[in-house]
Amino acid sequence: MSEFKLTTVEEFEEATARLLETGAKVGADAWQFRVKNQTPHCKFGEQGVCCRICSMGPCRITPKAPRGVCGCDAHGIVGRNFLKFTAGGAATHSDHGREICHTLYCAKDGGNYQVKDPEKLIRIAKEWGVETEGKDIYDLAHEMAETGLMEYGKPFGYQRFLDRMPAGQKEKLIENEIAPRAIDREVSTSLHMAHMGCSSLPEALVKQSIRCGLADGWGGSMMGTEFSDVLFGTPKPIDTEANLGVMVEENVNIVVHGHDPSLSEMICEYADSKEMIDYAKSVGAKGITVSGVCCTSNEVAMRRGVPMAGNFLQQENVVLTGACEAIVVDVQCIFPALGPLSKCFHTKFITTSPIAQMPDAEFIRFNAETAGENAKAIVKMAIDNFKNRKPELVHIPQLKQKATVGYSVEAIVKVLDSVTNSQVDETGTTKPLLECITSGVIRGAVAMVGCNNPRIRPDYAHIELMKKCIANDIVIIASGCSAQAAAKAGLMDKSAKDLCGAGLKRVCELADIPPVLHMGSCVDISRMMILAAELAKDSGLQINQLPVVGCAPEWMSEKAVSIGNYVVGTGIDTFLGVDPYVSGSSEMCELLTEGTRKWTGAAYTVEKDIDKLVDLMIERIEEKRTALGI
Amino acid sequence: MTLFESVFAGNDAVYGLTEGAINQAIEKYGADKAVSFPDTAYSLPCYYAVTGTKVGTLAELKDALAVVKTLMTREKRTNDVFMSGVATALCAEFIEVLKYIDGAVPYEAPCYGHLADAVIRELGVPLVTGDIPGVAVILGKAPSAQEAADLVKSYQSQGILITLVGDVIDQLEEVGYKTGANVRVIPLGKDVTAVIHVVSVALRAALIFGNVKPGDAATLMDYTMKRVPAFVNAFAPLNDVIVACGAGAIALGFPVITNQEDVARVPKSLICQKDISKWNATSLEARDIKIKITNIDIPVAFASAFEGEIIRRKDMQVEFDGSRVDCAELVHTCEPSEVEDHKITVVGPEVDDMELGSKNSIAYVVKVAGKNMQPDFEPVIERKFHNYINCIEGVYHTGQRDMQRIRISKDAFAAGFKIKHIGEVLYTQVKNEFDAVVDKCEVTIYTDPAECTRIRHEVAIPIFEKRDDRLNTLTDESVDVYYSCILCQAFSPSHVCVVTPERLGLCGAVSWLDAKATNELDPNGPCQVITKERPIDENLGSYEDVDEAVKKFSQGALEHVTLYSIMQDPMTSCGCFECICGIEPFSNGVVIANREYAGMTPLGMTFSEMASMTGGGVQTPGFMGHGKHFISSKKFMKAEGGIERIVWMPKELKEFVAERLNNTAKELYGIDNFTDMIGDETIATDPETLVGFLTEKGHPALALDPMM
Repeated sequence: MSEFKLTTVEEFEEATARLLETGAKVGADAWQFRVKNQTPHCKFGEQGVCCRICSMGPCRITPKAPRGVCGCDAHGIVGRNFLKFTAGGAATHSDHGREICHTLYCAKDGGNYQVKDPEKLIRIAKEWGVETEGKDIYDLAHEMAETGLMEYGKPFGYQRFLDRMPAGQKEKLIENEIAPRAIDREVSTSLHMAHMGCSSLPEALVKQSIRCGLADGWGGSMMGTEFSDVLFGTPKPIDTEANLGVMVEENVNIVVHGHDPSLSEMICEYADSKEMIDYAKSVGAKGITVSGVCCTSNEVAMRRGVPMAGNFLQQENVVLTGACEAIVVDVQCIFPALGPLSKCFHTKFITTSPIAQMPDAEFIRFNAETAGENAKAIVKMAIDNFKNRKPELVHIPQLKQKATVGYSVEAIVKVLDSVTNSQVDETGTTKPLLECITSGVIRGAVAMVGCNNPRIRPDYAHIELMKKCIANDIVIIASGCSAQAAAKAGLMDKSAKDLCGAGLKRVCELADIPPVLHMGSCVDISRMMILAAELAKDSGLQINQLPVVGCAPEWMSEKAVSIGNYVVGTGIDTFLGVDPYVSGSSEMCELLTEGTRKWTGAAYTVEKDIDKLVDLMIERIEEKRTALGI
Repeated sequence: MTLFESVFAGNDAVYGLTEGAINQAIEKYGADKAVSFPDTAYSLPCYYAVTGTKVGTLAELKDALAVVKTLMTREKRTNDVFMSGVATALCAEFIEVLKYIDGAVPYEAPCYGHLADAVIRELGVPLVTGDIPGVAVILGKAPSAQEAADLVKSYQSQGILITLVGDVIDQLEEVGYKTGANVRVIPLGKDVTAVIHVVSVALRAALIFGNVKPGDAATLMDYTMKRVPAFVNAFAPLNDVIVACGAGAIALGFPVITNQEDVARVPKSLICQKDISKWNATSLEARDIKIKITNIDIPVAFASAFEGEIIRRKDMQVEFDGSRVDCAELVHTCEPSEVEDHKITVVGPEVDDMELGSKNSIAYVVKVAGKNMQPDFEPVIERKFHNYINCIEGVYHTGQRDMQRIRISKDAFAAGFKIKHIGEVLYTQVKNEFDAVVDKCEVTIYTDPAECTRIRHEVAIPIFEKRDDRLNTLTDESVDVYYSCILCQAFSPSHVCVVTPERLGLCGAVSWLDAKATNELDPNGPCQVITKERPIDENLGSYEDVDEAVKKFSQGALEHVTLYSIMQDPMTSCGCFECICGIEPFSNGVVIANREYAGMTPLGMTFSEMASMTGGGVQTPGFMGHGKHFISSKKFMKAEGGIERIVWMPKELKEFVAERLNNTAKELYGIDNFTDMIGDETIATDPETLVGFLTEKGHPALALDPMM
């Protein structure tokens, strides 16, 4: 009946192999080769037992040398490294959120940036107790931006968004000293604690890791998400496509990459203008295709339906197609390798943020005041570059899948409204989803997040885990590069319902959704926290009682550890496929996999065997159900 | 206990009962004893649909039970729950079929028990047209008999088909509520297992109309979910067995609405509505059923559910009878200036002035005007009058033109129903359904006998004669285009009818003029123009244009269709056909059976069995579904020699088509009283006797070439 078929990881790999052949012709480097050069990795680093926070070292812990020069043991060293890792991630996400606050501050009527979702702005203002009555929407936007920015450095109090948690949870966090205060303070405190001669007590280091993570998840990231929605619109279901086949050979191809939507939104806007399209035609192209890589891609996909060329480990592939006129990047997860690689082709590698400056790139400094001009200059540069293509190097793998993306919490509630019965149900709640879960039709939910990592066969873990979960009636919400893996495979096509168990399949049919819901970029994992909080509030449970788990099977960045900490901090068990450099300390392992439960009701599970990992998740979900008697 | 545990427990309980019942039956009758439901080609229908295996004996039933057991897995997953629900339903079917051993008649009025295939085929058209917008399955005992009656009435007034299981049947009897298939309220039986008889209807619909392959359970469940608009209303208290049956219903896509408060809720599937007066609205919303709202200002209900209502003489206030006195019904196209919209005039006495039980004259003339109105549409509109007047609660209509008969019941009269209300109904419905062609509409109803005589003889009959002349000149050759009809695709996704002047749709409900009007009313609707500019073989009735259209409208499922052959690429059937013809090899002829005929044919098959070989949009050379009126057409299997191939028909059908068929035979072959040469069930139901009869009569088919 249906001709729907998933794209397999083998097919992804064949396409990559073919692109690497092109790379070989032009002498291009690639991560596949660099991984080989770096293998085997440093064992001390892997176990987290290498300390170089002072110049007495570096110290490495071995059975024969169980303490560093200062006397710190493996547990303290691993703990400090873990905290610093977290702080790096929290700082990164939160700084992204800060940039968005600044952009909101620059928004003006008729300007480069406008308030596209005033209702949401007013809703958040009311939450924060900011007066909205009779106020011009832009005055309100500026006030809210400032209030948001104060969350980074306010001297007293906790993060405002903690009030979104179910009753009692914030108090419990305060009681356990893991409720996040000002965001910058938590990052600074973390770095302070990890300084030479400060904390070496694993419990204290883990607690601060969670607090710092929560400052990200319920602070910086959440503001990044919420104010992005205010500026660019709250995502709602939209159809798009994913994988390299979205690039169009006859068109000028611009690939946006990174995380901050401020730049990419502008690029999309101009690439869509008649002026630019006409210009592209004048140079012999048929049009302009903007596609994305990484989370910038997620942002523009779920607001504009801009196609997704690929995820993290595919960033070099877009250049290897030989058909990429410009790869325009903002911040985070950008391979410095793109500079030298672009030199092997006609591709322009354009950096735009002072935060992410790299060699072999053209730097066009992008800022909110001149965003329009900057974007136009970039699009024009790409068009001008079309003529420099080397036709003999052009090969775009014709792999792509359809995907329906854009499931913000608001959109999910709207979908749920569509299956209510106006004679008995209220709308605007998560109750229909809770009914599905309580009755057993859906067993639970898994929040799939995170990156790619060459330690795991790229995308394989994401895709296999999702397939097994949906076959067991477990719905997936996904973000970041995990979401893109799903989209490339076809799991975000509504036809993927046929791969589900009977319960989830029926839900997908009745609600007209794919079984894997795209919730956005990695910053948008804050959306998942909000959804969990809503589910808890609507059911009268605590978040840690819900049959919901988080999973990052292929994670690699510091941000991912920060995320993991706030997910656990929120009360959601988190399953990792890659060890966060803690195996060198039994105490740290115990704390992270069990010890945190006493503070948050959740902990980590690390399992490198992907088949076992998914079984453990399903087991945990069933345990939670049994505990609830459902 | 969780919902899943409840389903599993209910399933286990029913399985146990079934196993016991089968063993007991084997002990009593022996393993070779035949088991089957009457009047179905699919026995046992549910088990056959789900597994693709037919069951004929108790031994086979026992084997089937072992298969059912394999469905009863106990993982905590919805699939296990769905399959356990299906297993429960199949067990119910096994228990029910045991009641029919030795041709027993286990159900007595008002209960129906098993429903025949013919009933399902009759439901096809009204289900696709939305005349029956849904099917309600009401189960258990309402808090009070009045609430039961109110609930049933609410569905009935929307045209929804209602089936009843359990105590609710007694409750309706208690308050004297009229039930029966003719008013779309069908009590199935008082045991919960009787619910299988409606499940059986849904599953056979998938086989008959959907061409679902028996045994393809996934497609079967997809079909029922998407295309059978059924839902369940289950009164508290629910026990595990009912919950297990409910799981089966939900598996098929039918939501369950209950007033059991502690039941686990599932959106759009298992809904708790404490207020029974809201069950109607809740159920319709849950199943996405939209009711076409027709608010007509009359003192009684107006709904398609009343279409089959019969008014007996003792219940009758007055009647109008065209066979005894002058009557007529007429649509007349006028200039807009001659029509005053919504003017309703009664010329002559009202019902109040007529004697109780009296026979009266009536003639109604509906004047219509509109820019797109064509006189060709007059009979199309006129023919709907039967349906409109019949849908009035307490009013009954048969016949047409000047031979109609109308009865108004005492109840309707007591409720204040008047002649003028007939005008109101005609006005509203004509404006509703023909809004694309009728801009203005005025109704004059004559009850004055002299006026009726004048209208009948001076106005109506001349118009009817003119129309007949026009109809007689309408041949497949005389028109430039044919029409497609895909009305049934809601039900039978790959079926396409090609409607020509001499070949109406196989359901008997869509003539070429109907199709033309439908196309005019809704240019993007179910009837599309098919050109006939590129003939391939005019004798077969094959055209490149027709093939292209059929391919397009069947989404590629069909490549070639001939209009006049039953052997080469015959036209497909949705399953709603009035009649089916099949080749009879001993006589070189064909046998025709109509839907109403339940007996055996000389092919060794009943109508149901013949019908089960076609339908669902598939081509089965040698078998073809068609309308009754097509039998007397000169184009009836013209490629194989035409109507002289007809060797057998049920007596009732033969009488129905006799006059026209004899005319055609005379015209084509110079044969007088051709129908006398055709066998029927009083003459033969086996081929040998039939051939003997045909030989004696000198039937022309015997001398023709074999068809295969």
